[in-house]
Amino acid sequence: MRKEKLKELLNELAERTTEPVGPGLSEDIKHQIPTRLLRHRGGWDTVNIIIDLRMSKSVAAAVIIITMILLANFLGIRDSANGGIFQDSMLLIKYVSGWAGADINDVSAGRSKYELLLGRGEEVAWYGDDIDPQDSNAVLMQWKLSDGKYEVMLVDGRERQVSSEELIKLLTRMLQKKSK
Amino acid sequence: MGKKVKLREQKVGLAHLRGEQQNLDRRNEHSDQRRDSLAARLRAGDRTAAAELVDLYYERIYLFMRRLGHSRQVSEDLTQESFLNAWGHIGQLRDGKALNSWLYRIAGNVSKLYWRRHKGREAASIEGIEVADGSSKTEGDKAGHNEQLEQLKNAVTRLPIKLRQAVVLHYMQQLTITEAAEAAGIRKGTFKSRLNRALKALRKHVM
Repeated sequence: MRKEKLKELLNELAERTTEPVGPGLSEDIKHQIPTRLLRHRGGWDTVNIIIDLRMSKSVAAAVIIITMILLANFLGIRDSANGGIFQDSMLLIKYVSGWAGADINDVSAGRSKYELLLGRGEEVAWYGDDIDPQDSNAVLMQWKLSDGKYEVMLVDGRERQVSSEELIKLLTRMLQKKSK
Repeated sequence: MGKKVKLREQKVGLAHLRGEQQNLDRRNEHSDQRRDSLAARLRAGDRTAAAELVDLYYERIYLFMRRLGHSRQVSEDLTQESFLNAWGHIGQLRDGKALNSWLYRIAGNVSKLYWRRHKGREAASIEGIEVADGSSKTEGDKAGHNEQLEQLKNAVTRLPIKLRQAVVLHYMQQLTITEAAEAAGIRKGTFKSRLNRALKALRKHVM
């Protein structure tokens, strides 16, 4: 088939394969518009770049620290403790050294999802405020599915469907770990 | 006499075309201005601008997700998630011209993250291709044409994610090459070569 004909067909396919969007989607989205729209999210952009580039943490940290030092030297602001550089460096140190900060992003991403599900009327139970972020099997939240099973979101972002017995086991293990 | 009438008809046709072109230019200019103002208001933190953005884009982003192979329910969730992410990244929006690429880039990343978290999940395609009415084609031609479209739809669904995204962004969501490349987060040349690879793969599957 000729390339031009294929392009025409693709354009036609786009016109023919449209479908109506579920009612209320735009309203749901509008309800989630924050009262204050943020122009910039401080140092988190740096961390997001690392995630986007899928580099190893240490390589990414080294690259960013070297870039910052070079930039600071170049601009002659080595000791001026510029707010942005300082903030990004602190976040980076937390991220690389494996403090709780390394998993804050997962927890806050989970929190957004939790709010999204709540907004949709799901009965979601949130455990994110009391969990150990270093425990990759810690349950961040759970909600019941129509077939009687439970959807569980773990702290590292994994999602699993489990039975009620498995859910109890997971939660008990989490509580036991916490009480130790 | 006949020649004069023909000439007059041609002139009228030409004037009509010019008028249409001017209208189109005016509409494009108006749309550019609207986008610029929308982007500026978003950057200033205006909530009504955010609601306007939702009205303007939610259907497109939903269809983008569907065409990338997500199911209806997942597409709705991912559309919501894309806008949620967008509110946190308004600082990255440069101007009205970058509106398309900015939002599609966020949506593309949300989709990518979903595939990464749900490895092994199969891509779902949009159901059914409607037969266009009022076509001059015979029934046989129509059936053949629809079969071709069906084959193409399935072939697009089977493409690797990166190639599928390139095809969907440019040919189905109608983004320009520049916008689509920015949305995919790659250089124009790389995007063009991705698109060529995708077309080559599609040609093999469509008779």
